[in-house]
Amino acid sequence: MNADPQKKPVTRKRLLILAGVILALLAVNLAVPRKKVPPYVSARTLKDLAELATVQYSVTKIVSYKDVAWYGDRKILFETAATVKAGIDLNELADQDIKLEGDSAVTVSLPRPRILLFNMKPEHMREIFNESGILRSNFSNQEKDGLLSQGEKDIRAKVAGMDILQRAARNARTLIESWLTKTGFKTVHVVFKGKGGRP
Amino acid sequence: MKKILSLLNLVAMLAILLLLYGPLAKIGLLPSLPSLFRGGTPKIEETPAIIQQVKNIAQMFTQTFYDEYVYDTGVMRTPPFNANKRLIFIAKGEVIAGFDLSELNEKSIIRRGKSIVVKLPPARILDVVINPSGFETFLEEGEITFEESKKFREDARRIFDRNARDKGILKNSAEQGRQMLEKFFRLLGFETVDIIIPESR
Repeated sequence: MNADPQKKPVTRKRLLILAGVILALLAVNLAVPRKKVPPYVSARTLKDLAELATVQYSVTKIVSYKDVAWYGDRKILFETAATVKAGIDLNELADQDIKLEGDSAVTVSLPRPRILLFNMKPEHMREIFNESGILRSNFSNQEKDGLLSQGEKDIRAKVAGMDILQRAARNARTLIESWLTKTGFKTVHVVFKGKGGRP
Repeated sequence: MKKILSLLNLVAMLAILLLLYGPLAKIGLLPSLPSLFRGGTPKIEETPAIIQQVKNIAQMFTQTFYDEYVYDTGVMRTPPFNANKRLIFIAKGEVIAGFDLSELNEKSIIRRGKSIVVKLPPARILDVVINPSGFETFLEEGEITFEESKKFREDARRIFDRNARDKGILKNSAEQGRQMLEKFFRLLGFETVDIIIPESR
């Protein structure tokens, strides 16, 4: 029942070859570089704007994701916040939108308000919980970006359903009325294009 | 002994397979090992968006600066094992400059017949916007925490702010504000319009 004395050196030899192959592959792994670093790129452009922001909403949202699998779970939870500004684009204001009635009365037809700015500052985001099972990889930055981008998309969609545009219109009217009164107009009418009545 | 040797053989074969896989994944011919353990496209859970504050503002945006920047943290060594980590991301966003008109008061608008003088506050940067969808991770090596990543992103925002200033956003913003208001007041029937804007710092 003794092992074949010839077989032992053969097995050892095979192990030595395998160890050599492993070492060679390790060297290859270390030598192969990852994807190359991109060259510095920049697309810098200045552009004129003519927008009047009249309302600012601060909105928060919890972004949560559970990745459940038979070999372990991964869970992550963020607290996020966004600032949304709405108002009117004065570029859409045409000459015929301002109608003077003598020296003391004016009617201004403003464009309908819209969301002008959406800002999710990194400093207003917090990772509350992050856990991965022993067989699971940790959440990478790329994955976290993907989840936060979904959160951003969701806030954008939900803000559109809030009363932000009505408030923006109301404030724009108050603001324009107040400025024009300061400039000496006694009667100021502010209407919105598309709809005549008060928003 | 025989069992140990065959186990060693098996371990060695597995190691060879993994080591063969590594370079192929690195050059992009195969998916990376961690990605094999991830599921499909992740989908966040449905949660509400809650309004925390509503504020009436009067901000006039007169200039925007679009920027795209490659941020490279460089190789960072972390104790205790001196492990290397590095993050390279591309940030895309905009810087918005203009005037805070809530600073206007009774003395800011002076009318004399068909002439008007408007004193505006200096043009300033009102917002630097780089949303999560504006960040694209290009390279991620080692474990980079969310707090670390946040710090780099805040730094990218500061770079955007600086680039916009270097490009002359405040000067352009003041000029555009002047032209815009001049046009507006002329439409209101004023013949002489004087817009006074102090220089931005």
